[in-house]
Amino acid sequence: MPGGSDTLTSLVWQSLPGADGAWINPLIRKIDTVSSNSYLIATPDVLLLIDPGGLPEQAEQLSRIIGESRRERDRPVFVFLTHAHIDHFAGVFAAPLFAYPETAVFAVQEQGGEAIERGDFQQTQAALFEKTFPPMKTGLSLFPSGWETDAGIPVSEAFPNGATVTITCQMTEGKRGIPRARLEFGTGPALEVFHTPGHSPDSICLRMGGLLFIGDLLFAANPGIAGICGWDRDALLQSISGIQAVIESGGIALVCPGHGKAFPAPDTARMFSAIRKEALALSDIAELNHERAERAAAFAEDCMEQVNELFTIMAGRLYYVSWVMDELGESDIADRMGALIPGDTIDELLEAFSAFAEDHHRGEHVPINLALKAAQVVAKLERSFKKEELMRIIDPSLVERAGRLLSDYTIMLRGFSPPSVLSGCALAPLIEAIVTGLSRPSCSDEDLLSSADDDAAFMGVLLSRIGTRPLLEDVAFSLDLEDRASLVSVDQDRFSDLVTYILEDLIGSGSDRIRVDVRQEDRIQFVTIAGNFLTGNPLKQSRKMNFLAGLCERAGGILTCTEDACQRRFVIELRLV
Amino acid sequence: MEITTTTRDNATILSVAGRIDTATAPALEQAINHEIEQQNRKILLNFSAVSYISSGGLRVLLATAKKLKNPGDKFALCGLSAEVLKILKLAGFTSIFSICSSEGEALAGW
Repeated sequence: MPGGSDTLTSLVWQSLPGADGAWINPLIRKIDTVSSNSYLIATPDVLLLIDPGGLPEQAEQLSRIIGESRRERDRPVFVFLTHAHIDHFAGVFAAPLFAYPETAVFAVQEQGGEAIERGDFQQTQAALFEKTFPPMKTGLSLFPSGWETDAGIPVSEAFPNGATVTITCQMTEGKRGIPRARLEFGTGPALEVFHTPGHSPDSICLRMGGLLFIGDLLFAANPGIAGICGWDRDALLQSISGIQAVIESGGIALVCPGHGKAFPAPDTARMFSAIRKEALALSDIAELNHERAERAAAFAEDCMEQVNELFTIMAGRLYYVSWVMDELGESDIADRMGALIPGDTIDELLEAFSAFAEDHHRGEHVPINLALKAAQVVAKLERSFKKEELMRIIDPSLVERAGRLLSDYTIMLRGFSPPSVLSGCALAPLIEAIVTGLSRPSCSDEDLLSSADDDAAFMGVLLSRIGTRPLLEDVAFSLDLEDRASLVSVDQDRFSDLVTYILEDLIGSGSDRIRVDVRQEDRIQFVTIAGNFLTGNPLKQSRKMNFLAGLCERAGGILTCTEDACQRRFVIELRLV
Repeated sequence: MEITTTTRDNATILSVAGRIDTATAPALEQAINHEIEQQNRKILLNFSAVSYISSGGLRVLLATAKKLKNPGDKFALCGLSAEVLKILKLAGFTSIFSICSSEGEALAGW
């Protein structure tokens, strides 16, 4: 193969390993939600196109390559869909080649074929992506109901494209058996098809020689994909197990996914194990429909603005520590600080999301696209920052809040509510603890002195001392907490996050006098946090206010904010237990 | 992002407009470095039209503070929007260089 034995080169004919006389011309795209990869296989008997993709130009390009191949040697054309989701087939409506069964026969698992033939916008995910398509006839129904009756018996079928195909269906061997069909188009290499539902009821994997085409099996447990119409966790677990057994039985060199680059077969063990772990945790996942995609997209935007702010502040803190260490002649440590957050990469990720969100508001993307883009950014951010190390240097509250936000988004996109642990709690000591934490340095003078004899310990304390900055150090702060006994129902972590965000907002907006008081009316306690001198934009109806109100709801309360020329005032209402 | 350079009371004022992000931060750094190479070592950044600063922008500010620390050098920021001021405050940058409300206030001390 031109790209080497462990990869495929896009848009180049290369010999298909393990299948004498077969050639493959893959069209491998950058991963997105619009269109899948396509794989065109030529054998002496037939031309097989696996997944024509979701874009008209992609289908036209494939149509041209098929035309050239047929001019060299005319052969029947079959189009196999790894599953009937629109990003895998919607492009075909633009290319005349695919319009007639005499020129191309579509081969789809029975349920997928029926979904295309009746124009089912739910099962094909067209509704989720706000697309439509005209109903279309398919020609070869894979694993039709009752196939088990003829298990092991070769059945020949003639098609309008001139091909006669001999199909033998049976279960693969062993405890992890899954339905398999062997398709012979003539004397050339045969195609094996495996029914692997889970991502969708009609998902199939295909194998020729040393290549295994797995469609979207690899992404089936990802946030924003798990839970889509037709998703089935138990079927997915069984399919993963079955296809892993097929790989373990040998002969497969390369695995070709529906999106992204091909990878060596041995890598699947680790990947499938991760999918299995993810899928096992998704027993109660809600269906990801258009309504939930809209909610996720709105939450993504509220979250991302805050994530952007937190990551910029964290990176800034590290730059500051690095700068001070450089001043102290500790350039090695200064360099190490800079590497804890890959600032440029994170900036690029967040800016890309911001640009995508702007396109979304101009109508270029539908909500699910934005929600999935956010999921992609969140996953990369989670991999990019070293939480444990950061928490030893900069304010743990910043790191923890960033981690909680990323996790909340993933949980929300999966269709669960971000975890809220409401318990009875007296507000006065809780608020005092929050304020104390935000008022004093992370390391006392005594900590610094007592570490002086140990170089490593001293450096650790020094870095933390430089990297953390008490939020309330330059603020005239007053607390009025009369009622110390009544218990309110509250999620303490989220309440602490909320109060910290509010204090940051006030101090960031120039407040140097902040007052917190708690009063009670009927069965409700009102926590008022008010600051003077405001330079910021009005909070009302802003994304920030949406975010804070949502967080307050997760903390168990209701948040309101009033502001005038010289004061901003937040009120949190919490119910007594 | 647009940068306009003027001089006033022997100081170089770079008035920046727009977003300072990954794409634009290098241009700001280049503009500042150009002034420093010309031995203009009293630099005031007027950020009154800056709506956003990324961590890349923060790094440019620190790099500038590092270059302008000889006796007689001056470096300050003025006219910060609430959003940018908040980031600088919470990142702990306000102790590194002067932050003033206006050009006049910044230059008065130079």
